[in-house]
Amino acid sequence: MEFHRKIFVLIPAYNEEGAVGKVVEGVKNHLPEVDILVVNDGSADLTSEKARARGALVLDLPFNLGIGGAMQAGYKYADAKGYDIAIQVDGDGQHDPKEIPKLLRALEERQWDIAIGSRFTANSAEYKSSMMRRVGISLFSKVISMIVGQQLTDPTSGFRAANRRAIRLFACDYPQDYPEPEALVLLSRSGLKMGEVAVSMNQRYFGESSITKIKAIYYMVKVLVAIFVDCFKKRTPLREEGERC
Amino acid sequence: MLIQIQIVIGTLSVILLLITFELIRKERLREEYSILWLFTGIAIFIFSLWPEFFLSQFFTRITGLSYLSAVVMITFLFLLMIVLHFSVVISKLTDRNKELAQRHALLELEFNEFKKHCYLQESQ
Repeated sequence: MEFHRKIFVLIPAYNEEGAVGKVVEGVKNHLPEVDILVVNDGSADLTSEKARARGALVLDLPFNLGIGGAMQAGYKYADAKGYDIAIQVDGDGQHDPKEIPKLLRALEERQWDIAIGSRFTANSAEYKSSMMRRVGISLFSKVISMIVGQQLTDPTSGFRAANRRAIRLFACDYPQDYPEPEALVLLSRSGLKMGEVAVSMNQRYFGESSITKIKAIYYMVKVLVAIFVDCFKKRTPLREEGERC
Repeated sequence: MLIQIQIVIGTLSVILLLITFELIRKERLREEYSILWLFTGIAIFIFSLWPEFFLSQFFTRITGLSYLSAVVMITFLFLLMIVLHFSVVISKLTDRNKELAQRHALLELEFNEFKKHCYLQESQ
């Protein structure tokens, strides 16, 4: 499969020394042409070294900024270097690199600004996850679908491909903490188009999800409040090429 | 009874004002953050000087507060404003901190790539 565009894979990783090497390797195997940037979000372990050893570029943040800040740093890099497409892949290995071409194809063929890999569309394979998570995701899905004005089944998925317009928006403005659902609201408020692609996801290689049971309720309330507040915020204007935030 | 309250409140406000001035003078408190503290001190001081207004029928009728409660209430409002102000300041600092960390990391990466590039050219 051939893409005549500059493609960039963005892997945020925080204390993922066990998985990040495999993720980088997986992406390289499936897409040998793309550039890979691992954003090391102030890890205390060997995440940075392991990623570098597999030949990825590594952006070392001086301290932990949280997933939102790390992701935005990656988008800033993509913006500055003039990449046409940025693909987000989690550093924990739950996203399967062989599904990336599906996202790229959708982005290209359907003229979307962002393509989201979803675990829960009608054609997705069965994905095992806890009851709590399912309830949370379906609640988000309803709320986000309502705000965005289109059906989205997996708004918490961090497996996404963004085109140049979305990259430029995210470089300027990206939500903090648990940013995936909020980012969609941001996109739709700036008038960008998005859509979902059915993908299968692996169980995590190592470690716990960043959302444990106790934190789940706090997370849900926080994100819902953040989304509610977002609806009243000033819209981020889309910039011309070369214009600063 | 009233004069005692006046003395206590007056002394407290004067101490608060003196501490604030001293901190500004030693440049341990920036002027922009000291304004609310100065206002708080001055407001409490005024209370202690002119208690008649806060004891008047008019004031008691519209607020339902006695003198001491009024002082506490107004002080509390100022403290609320100060805390809110701090939250705004902290939010701004957090944003700038994030921005700096990101730029620092991006520059470092750029610099390291540049160094590697130079090194490769030299060794050729």
